Amino acid sequence: MRKSTQSLMALLAGAALALTGCSDGGSQPAAVLDPNAEPQYTGTLSILTKFGGDPLEPYFEDLASEYKKLHPEVSFDLIQETDQSIKDKTKTLTASQAMPDIYFTWAGSWANNFIDGGLAADLTPVIAPGTEWGNNFGESALKAFAKDGKYFAVPLYNNGKFMGYNQRIFKELNLTPPSTFDELISSCSVLKEAGYEPISFGNKDGWPGLHYLQQLFAYEVPAETLQGDFSPATAKLEDKGYLKAMDQFTTLVNECTGSGKDSNGVLYTTAQQALAEGKSGMYYQEILEFDSTASADSKLKQDGLGIFKLPAAVDAKGDPKAIEGSPEGYIINARSKNAALAADFMKFATNSQNAAKLSAPPYGQPSAVKGAVSTENSSVPVIEGIKQVNEASAAITWLDSVTVPAVADAWLAGGEALVAGTQTPDQVLASVRAASSAGK
Amino acid sequence: MTVSDTAWKPAAPPPAPLSTKSPKSRTRKSARTHGWRNVVWVLPAVLLLGAFAYLPLVQNLGFSFLKWDIYSGRQTFVGADNYVRMFNDPIFWKSLLNNSLYAIISIAFQVFGAMILAAMIEGLRSQRWRGILRAVYFVPSAISLTVAGLLFYFIYEPEMGILNAALDFLGLGNFTQAWLGQENTAIFAIIAMSQWQGFGYCTLLFSVALQRIPSELYEAASIDGVGPFQRFFSISLPLVREMTGLMMIVTVSGAFQVFNEVMVMTSGGPNNSSQVLGTWLYRSGFVRNDFGYAAAVATAVFIITLVLAVIQLRISKKRRVQW
Repeated sequence: MRKSTQSLMALLAGAALALTGCSDGGSQPAAVLDPNAEPQYTGTLSILTKFGGDPLEPYFEDLASEYKKLHPEVSFDLIQETDQSIKDKTKTLTASQAMPDIYFTWAGSWANNFIDGGLAADLTPVIAPGTEWGNNFGESALKAFAKDGKYFAVPLYNNGKFMGYNQRIFKELNLTPPSTFDELISSCSVLKEAGYEPISFGNKDGWPGLHYLQQLFAYEVPAETLQGDFSPATAKLEDKGYLKAMDQFTTLVNECTGSGKDSNGVLYTTAQQALAEGKSGMYYQEILEFDSTASADSKLKQDGLGIFKLPAAVDAKGDPKAIEGSPEGYIINARSKNAALAADFMKFATNSQNAAKLSAPPYGQPSAVKGAVSTENSSVPVIEGIKQVNEASAAITWLDSVTVPAVADAWLAGGEALVAGTQTPDQVLASVRAASSAGK
Repeated sequence: MTVSDTAWKPAAPPPAPLSTKSPKSRTRKSARTHGWRNVVWVLPAVLLLGAFAYLPLVQNLGFSFLKWDIYSGRQTFVGADNYVRMFNDPIFWKSLLNNSLYAIISIAFQVFGAMILAAMIEGLRSQRWRGILRAVYFVPSAISLTVAGLLFYFIYEPEMGILNAALDFLGLGNFTQAWLGQENTAIFAIIAMSQWQGFGYCTLLFSVALQRIPSELYEAASIDGVGPFQRFFSISLPLVREMTGLMMIVTVSGAFQVFNEVMVMTSGGPNNSSQVLGTWLYRSGFVRNDFGYAAAVATAVFIITLVLAVIQLRISKKRRVQW
């Protein structure tokens, strides 16, 4: 290499490092929200929600407009994203240090990233169990966003995953909700013979497959092992239960879904629509989806939406009473200049009136506020779902938010490979183990 | 005439007896003055390019030597670790292979295919039909890539898509499949959409290049009894070689920068089978929170496209057409 080229390369590398620099970050202990701080009812509150699109979008718009009636000097900057797009949007805003005053979070590793990075205000003095505001929530919902005894988010609604089924079709074919995994597979052949798609399934985005897998892992892998395997620092990922759960998943995809190996090319909304239109007998869904699947003008609404927990195998070695799902909440930005105002707005959003509105159709998001889900305002499946979540032995957080992103991504790719039939459960587990080892 | 136009006029020679300086020194001074003026004129563009193109490039190079946690903002120097991981990452190589496939297929269709089509269109006698066909082929290029991606997502949809319905209708039901949902077909389905989208644009550019060829050459060849195929190979092909070179650069660079259509149609799935360098870079940064590694992939993309462009520019320089 010529001397001048070498000098240029050295200069370039030096400049590159000088321009980027290395820093230990601006991470500081999270700002603690002062319970006595009086909010200044002026300025703009920015909020990143996961309520983009129909039918959820008007909820925060209405909240903002109602709050503005009470405090005309306050204005809002609403950033409304969908379940899929909010992941990218949040990362973009985080990387550019432009997080809004209030932002959406899942429980688990997703929320912990913000807590560890000093981006979540410590709400303990105002929302911990025993405080005036905190007493409005179920304790388990608050604990979903707790770390080291501190509370970092306002739980807005609870959630859980259930198999939704068409009651008319089940009745017509003399089927009852299955109580074991084998019964579920048997019911698929009855539905198929009658000309229905037994379970509609769309895995284009990858996470619908992960939801099946996580529930089956909870059934087949002992709870302590499973919890240890979520963190790369303690993960071994050697339990045979993983292989059994993945076998069950492929059996379900091949025996019960209409699209089978082609499911990676189908959107989850297409699958949801198949149940809504009475074309499929079952669709695995979150409580949050119940009211939109069985919307007022849908065929499913006339036929009746029933729900049951994805049944476990008879000889399951894990916890067959666990339910996959966790509350979803909102964090107040620790660096917000409007933290007191943001907390005041979130108190307004979780008052009994707004909590009841959130739990009722068309929103159907079962509020984490005690007593908000009731026969007066919520649909029967939502009430039943919340009842079962409360009775479950444990709530298992989604696989794509409970573990670190690289491991979640390996599970996602593995789930798609299982659906397509291009990898065996052993191969998938090996690739996840490799991703987990790399993250240690 | 504007002030600047006047400034560019060569200065009138001063009367010889009054001048004490040699003509050579005067020319040097004039060149220096003009040189500074030139610099002033190009300075805004240079500054903008520097701020928005070269500075981020250099910064990206710096990021590629770091481990960067976007949540805490913590940045740790890790040396060449990201590059070592990249060379050992099978998904990086899969992505590179997919980009290369994209480039090869795009050269076949968007360069040579488009050139043949352009020659056929320009060979038509009817001016009206030439115009209509150019417009027909160009319309897909006017659709945004995101819209085209969504459109083709629904065409390829395994249950409701029109492609499978058409195959069924033609009695080719055995060939129906989830085009975007199968690992062995996903990337080809995306590439096919991309060819559809870019084909017309390339055809139009080749049509313009063909129109610039003097008609006397074709007339003379016809009088000498040369047939249409030989006319294409002996006249058209050599005389549009500059445009061919340009299209090769644009097509190959584009193939290594592809992003939108893959994101819209598969996000790189299933099982990373349709991952390209752009989407793998994005996924590494924004999904896996591995921004240092993403910067290393970005540097690789830059080097690949730079090397390819330099090679092609050198080749096309030698093939310049002189009229």
